[in-house]
Amino acid sequence: MTQALHRAGIRPHMRWRELRLLIVVAVCLMVGWISLESFREGQIGIGDATLLTIYIAAIGIIHLAFVVTGRRMDQILFPTAALLAGISLLVMDRLPQDTVTQTIAGVELGLAPLQLVWLILGFTVLAAIAIFVRSDGWLRRYKYTWAAAGIALLLLVFVFGSVIGGARLTLHIGPFSGQPSELLKVILVVFLAGYLAENRALLATGSTRVGTFTVPPLPYLLPMFAMWGIALSIVIVQRDLGAALLYFLVFLGLLYVATRRAAYVVFGIVLFLVGGAALYVLFTHVQERINIWIDPFSDPQGAGYQIIRALYAYGRGGILGTGLGAGLPSVGDAPSIPLMHTDFVFAAIAEELGMLGALAVLGLYLVIAERGFRIAAAAADDFRALLATGLTLVIVVQAAIIAGGNLRVLPLTGVTLPFVSYGGSSLLVNGAVIGLLLALSDRGVEPPPPGVRPNAVVRAAQRARAVGGRIEEALS
Amino acid sequence: MSGLSWPSGVSGPSGPGGPSGPKGPRLRLQQLRLHLRPRLRTRGATPSLRGGEPSGPPRVGRSLLPLALSLAVAYAALAGGLAYWQVVQAQALTADPLNPLSLAAARDAPRGTIYDVNGVVLARNVRGPNGERLREYDYPYAAPVIGYSSATFGTAALERTYDGQLTGLVSLNPGDELLRKFRGQPYDPADLHLSLDINLERAAVDLLGDQKGAIVAIEPATGRVLALVSSPTYNPNRIVDPQGGRDYMASLQSGDDSPLLDRATQGLYVPGSVFKIVTSIAGLGSGAINPQTTYPDQPGELQTGFLVDGFRIHDFPRTVQTDHPLDYAEALEVSSNIWFAHAGLDTGAQNMQDWAARLGFGERIPFDLPTSPSQLTSGGGPLDGFQDRVELANAAYGQGEVLVSPLQMALVAATIANHGTLMRPSLVDYLTSSDGSVTRLEPQTWTQVCSSETALTIGDAMQQAVEGQYAVASAAKVPGVPTAGKSGTAQVGPGLAPHSWFIGYAPADAPRIVVAVIVEGGGLGSQRAVPMGGRLMSAYLGVAR
Repeated sequence: MTQALHRAGIRPHMRWRELRLLIVVAVCLMVGWISLESFREGQIGIGDATLLTIYIAAIGIIHLAFVVTGRRMDQILFPTAALLAGISLLVMDRLPQDTVTQTIAGVELGLAPLQLVWLILGFTVLAAIAIFVRSDGWLRRYKYTWAAAGIALLLLVFVFGSVIGGARLTLHIGPFSGQPSELLKVILVVFLAGYLAENRALLATGSTRVGTFTVPPLPYLLPMFAMWGIALSIVIVQRDLGAALLYFLVFLGLLYVATRRAAYVVFGIVLFLVGGAALYVLFTHVQERINIWIDPFSDPQGAGYQIIRALYAYGRGGILGTGLGAGLPSVGDAPSIPLMHTDFVFAAIAEELGMLGALAVLGLYLVIAERGFRIAAAAADDFRALLATGLTLVIVVQAAIIAGGNLRVLPLTGVTLPFVSYGGSSLLVNGAVIGLLLALSDRGVEPPPPGVRPNAVVRAAQRARAVGGRIEEALS
Repeated sequence: MSGLSWPSGVSGPSGPGGPSGPKGPRLRLQQLRLHLRPRLRTRGATPSLRGGEPSGPPRVGRSLLPLALSLAVAYAALAGGLAYWQVVQAQALTADPLNPLSLAAARDAPRGTIYDVNGVVLARNVRGPNGERLREYDYPYAAPVIGYSSATFGTAALERTYDGQLTGLVSLNPGDELLRKFRGQPYDPADLHLSLDINLERAAVDLLGDQKGAIVAIEPATGRVLALVSSPTYNPNRIVDPQGGRDYMASLQSGDDSPLLDRATQGLYVPGSVFKIVTSIAGLGSGAINPQTTYPDQPGELQTGFLVDGFRIHDFPRTVQTDHPLDYAEALEVSSNIWFAHAGLDTGAQNMQDWAARLGFGERIPFDLPTSPSQLTSGGGPLDGFQDRVELANAAYGQGEVLVSPLQMALVAATIANHGTLMRPSLVDYLTSSDGSVTRLEPQTWTQVCSSETALTIGDAMQQAVEGQYAVASAAKVPGVPTAGKSGTAQVGPGLAPHSWFIGYAPADAPRIVVAVIVEGGGLGSQRAVPMGGRLMSAYLGVAR
């Protein structure tokens, strides 16, 4: 057995820190589950803990896989994501189960079981990427291919996307549907990391004089304007303000990290404000969002309904929260906050776990930020550093955008709270993001004994790489 | 650079060059640990250790600190948002009547009882035909005060204002708020004890009968509301009825006599001569007039009218007190429009505005029920808001653009009765929680409107307006009790019957009750509203008439 593992370049390596953290996570979730079930039953009990058992088993198996394959990756990211996702499972279990139903293999699944399925799939993606991705070449080399794929994806949504809730976000392919904007954010980060790593020297130091101003070489700023255009077109065509904001902020963050020129950020923000002002004047859906943000009580039964209900939830929660299960998920037949399982899951947490619980959730995203930036700082080269930064930002900024929208700190936009909101696309993509971060943090397995022949998988990968290179050449 | 393998030079699936073999990854690992990990903290970095990399812009890692800081700021803003909503605003949000929590509480917990001043139950809980909790109101004519609490239509009036306390969502003891989740019963409903006297309320309702109008009775020294009637009103029992509620509500909303409107606090009426008390406060308070002020032209103008910039102001025709220029008290007694038009012009637009504002004109009166702001003028004119001197002169005797709520006029009279000090009107004396603790809502001074001398002067004139030889408001007299008051007949348009008004108080020397009465289209004040005011005060003071 050990011999076979060694032959495949695998040397098991204990991950004590991750194990300890995962035990803490499991205990937290069990306490939460007992709290929830006890409230439901009116006495101390654990009810039917199948879902939680499956979930804890799943994260245990993934941990085991990391250990067996000997990856020496970051040990904090996965427990953090696992806690966020576990909280998600508790919240979903606590919401009305008929919010979302889907029949899989003849069994009709409600909200929480479906979320569990997506969580496990998302973590499988996470683990697969973390374990099997050993080279960044496929990301680094084909940046224009990725950009082209991203734009193609965007166009696909523009043309074939179906409109749900006023936004053209969802793409249906056969029985499957998904939100490509989630995937697009990763593609975007990969492209930007590649582009900026290649050109950052020029962008950071080069300059052209325009009158009295010293500006960077204009052709290299083109992607900046392209980004701006993409963000605006997403707002116009898809009506997806949240994704546009996310893309643009991540882009500005990466541009700053790559160049250290604050002027770019200022210029980008000015561009954004100008674009935003124009959109506000031109488009009623933008106006409506902004107006409702400023005064939701102007239309308490209509456009302001959702956010007002969320504010009530904060009031109910207070500092300590109502306790899991003791909140107010529905009034009569209607959910107390529409889209509580997706857009307003943060409000649901703030109600039941209180200000302290919500702060803890925000803290978990900051832990992700800290780990991500650490990985970026320790990266061996610019591409990897920028990639790690971008992937981190994608999660942390997105969480801030939706939490801010929930809290009326920002206008409300419909992005998901990573790992917590219900939704397959989001969980799969965010799983991939954390998986990539883990892969970037990998310090490799224990060195194998010399002279081991690469196995068939590796040889196949090499052949595939050769084909990909030709495609990329054609594109660039 | 492209296609760089993982830095440690892993064997197997590494870079494009195939297996990188044993290149001493241990050593490189140590290097990584040495100089890469602390980079976030130490800005200085150690580029010399990064052998082999091309020189260029500063390393990416160093730019991460500002980025991390801006993220920290953003998250701090989020934490601030959480604290704002969950600590600062939590109670206000919870008590908001639109909050569906109150509906849930209505389902799950008994609602507090509402009592009148003598402990008579005005609103209580019963079980509906399907076992659901319903509110029952034994005195439906008190609807403008009590309102309703319905699963379908939410809440109104006191049931709305004190919804948080009645459901127990808002605890009387702020410290309990934090521990609520640890209690078996999360709600802590409180009972409401009102200053309202249901017997007086009933008397006022009977006085109005089926006439449209409103009556407000206040204890002037405290601002406690003793009775508050709006007619016609609705039957709250029919609104909360799960079966017929919707139909009943629809019929209420489609009717043209606005039974859902609380006329006493939200109805805005032309005041007519009762407004002369406001002009008196402004004129005497500012010193523009004094009790001895006379206008030599005034007797002659009884015949010709007082000509103001082409507009003639007339008195209601009378046969007494026509021979000499009237002083202030005489003018109030016979209700001379001409005298008060002179007084208003002498007082001036600015003084009128200032003193009306002291009485609460132009703002919503802070009260347990929603109120509409009263106005002296529609505003926007060049003469301190007035269009011209004609509007000012007309406003001085309660016409022009003046619009008042009955509650506002009751407060005007209460100011005089309480020596120039206006108390905040209130309906709730105290709340009791289930554990027996009592939260008393003490009387509060709202504003000091005028000096007690000014109030005394006006009060004496108001007493003369009821008890004097030529008094127009003599029908308000409470037998054996000194009574003060002022009648009003408000012209609302050609061909329309005027509103009939009375404001007054008794006993005049130690006021216990202030009343304001308006009967829409009731005709002469002296014939309709004045005797009603008199009877109501008599009833309260226990004097048979």
